[in-house]
Amino acid sequence: MGIERRTLLKVAGLILAGFTIKPAIDVLSKVDLPDPLPTPGPFANKRWAMAVDLKKCWSLEGCKDCIEACHRIHNVPDFGHPKEEIKWIFQAPFQTVFPEHEHEFMEEGAPEKPVMLLCNQCDSPPCIRYCPTKATWRREDGIVMMDFHRCIGCRYCMAGCPYGSRSFNWRDPRPFIKKPNLEFPTRTRGVVEKCNFCEERLAQGLLPACVEACKEKGLIFGNLKDPKSEIRKALQNRFILQRQPELGTKPKVYYIL
Amino acid sequence: MSDKRVTIIGEDAVLLRPIMKTGKAFYIAAAILLATTIWGVHAYLTQYRTGLGVTALSRQIFWGVYITNFIFFIGISHAGTLISAILRLTNAEWRRPITRASELITVIVLFFGVGSILIDLGRPDRMLYVIRYAHFGSPLFWDVSCIAVYLTASFIYLYIALIPDIALLRDRGIKGTWFYRILAVGWEGSERQRQLLEKGIGLMAILVIPIAVSVHTVVSYVFALTIQPMWHSAIFGPYFVCGAIFSGVGAVIIVMVLIRKFYHLEDYIKPAQFHHLGSLLCALTLLWFYFTLGEHVTTIYGNEPVQMAVFWSKITGKFAPHFWAMILFCFIIPLPLLSVKKFKTITGIFIASVSIQIGMWLERFVIIVPTLTRQRLMIGSPSYWPSWVEWSILAGCFSLFIFLYLLFTKFFPIVSVWEMKEGREKSMEEIQHRLKTYLPNG
Repeated sequence: MGIERRTLLKVAGLILAGFTIKPAIDVLSKVDLPDPLPTPGPFANKRWAMAVDLKKCWSLEGCKDCIEACHRIHNVPDFGHPKEEIKWIFQAPFQTVFPEHEHEFMEEGAPEKPVMLLCNQCDSPPCIRYCPTKATWRREDGIVMMDFHRCIGCRYCMAGCPYGSRSFNWRDPRPFIKKPNLEFPTRTRGVVEKCNFCEERLAQGLLPACVEACKEKGLIFGNLKDPKSEIRKALQNRFILQRQPELGTKPKVYYIL
Repeated sequence: MSDKRVTIIGEDAVLLRPIMKTGKAFYIAAAILLATTIWGVHAYLTQYRTGLGVTALSRQIFWGVYITNFIFFIGISHAGTLISAILRLTNAEWRRPITRASELITVIVLFFGVGSILIDLGRPDRMLYVIRYAHFGSPLFWDVSCIAVYLTASFIYLYIALIPDIALLRDRGIKGTWFYRILAVGWEGSERQRQLLEKGIGLMAILVIPIAVSVHTVVSYVFALTIQPMWHSAIFGPYFVCGAIFSGVGAVIIVMVLIRKFYHLEDYIKPAQFHHLGSLLCALTLLWFYFTLGEHVTTIYGNEPVQMAVFWSKITGKFAPHFWAMILFCFIIPLPLLSVKKFKTITGIFIASVSIQIGMWLERFVIIVPTLTRQRLMIGSPSYWPSWVEWSILAGCFSLFIFLYLLFTKFFPIVSVWEMKEGREKSMEEIQHRLKTYLPNG
């Protein structure tokens, strides 16, 4: 009985060990960072970026057109209080966004002027490294994507983002959506969401909703890989700011002063 | 069969009494604990129905009590490893009566650590996605892997060392013998079986130590590998492991005091055990303080604005009450109780241990929440006071943990009978022999 049991244990152990061979090979041959889509497709020659022309934005006080457009077409709920708010594009005072550029002798009222904030669609995004299910990843054209069906709601990506760009659905958002846009999915409670550079509109050749909605043409959007694009022209001659570029995230949202 | 029936030495009968008799006190305690647990479950179901919005968490402060609980419970799990494995490997004889009690803490509390994370998920129904769509580069995946291995290893460790006592109960022929017969896996106490058992226990004791270190290191990496101010610190690995052993030893002491009192184990759990563990706890108090001091001194001397904003919120700002309470409970109260001979009684050591549990829970809270207020990017003035749901779930976790622990003691002896016997019969000789090997020949 003793010998039989020992043989059984040995064989069982070998079989179990055998099950680990393929996964081990898979793991060892894997690349560190999550890969974007393997086929180049139409994404390879694109790198989307946005520039916010602050002077143009500040010429219209109290304007929230871009926010309203974005939140309307993406079924972003309005809970009426900041605790559970979800925002894809939002505002913050200049002194909060660029504290290193603030100084005692700035122009009157300048530190409080609103700056538009959204997901920076970084080229080296910290958030995608932490997601345990790869529900968020960087696409080849630079957009940091979000799969609402795979997200388990652990909020680690929110902890990874140094910019506070991501929001979480603390409850079912559907009752709080004023007028649902049936062409874009609503989310369930318990998942994270953020600006997606309107990738569904880009796929149809349209500009992002916020860019289109801005009456002053303060939001400039385009393909960085196209030397003739508007964004390339905008980035050339003026003083450009970015949010905390020293973190190495390589953000794709620029601010023109 | 009757020849091989293990006779119980009369003096160890007290170790089996909880299994034989159950008094009114147990039923009252069980009733209170189960009621609290049911209340906790009700709180969780409220959350499951509505969403995590029923907590006090917000867009700004999205991790709070549940993640604190997660790290706190995983921290306590280091109790079993230290006492049981390290003391076994260093041949410390005084560990005999307390190894099982501490290993049991580890096995049960790990479930609550994992449970706390699951409670915190927005979509717990998708929890298996972490395995199905595993992202190997994610520290959360490392957490899942290491904790799974730790739980398996600790469970095996607890079980193997339990086998001879299960056989004892099987042979006694008390109620439910079939249960013990299955679990005893044919233990007869033969020489060969004993050797295998020793080898198995020895192997698990060695394995479980690096696993335990890796567990709390990867838990710390959840924070340390982000670029958030006062999280992105290389010291988090050792800091968290130290904190875990610190709160773990405290938890073992609390359990020891309670089982000693309620199961009348004064002959087994003696002042010597408390004295040794108390000294260890004192050393850990100092070590914990050293790490905490290091964290804050390096921050203030660096004077980086992003870090300093979080730093001041802890020292003088919104989280100052939490921070200084942590220092009070983790350092100011325990240190004199554990180092001054007059205070280092069993009561003193118990008070220090309870104080340390409170302090270490606060420590986890103070590490997580202030950084999340992202003081520099502060839009609005976020604050966080946990809701009734979060407190209820915490209370429910504690009460269910205690209940499961008590339930175990009703089926198995909490002090290892066979190891006490072994200690009485063999240890004197072994120690004498050991002494001779390092004293000069005389």
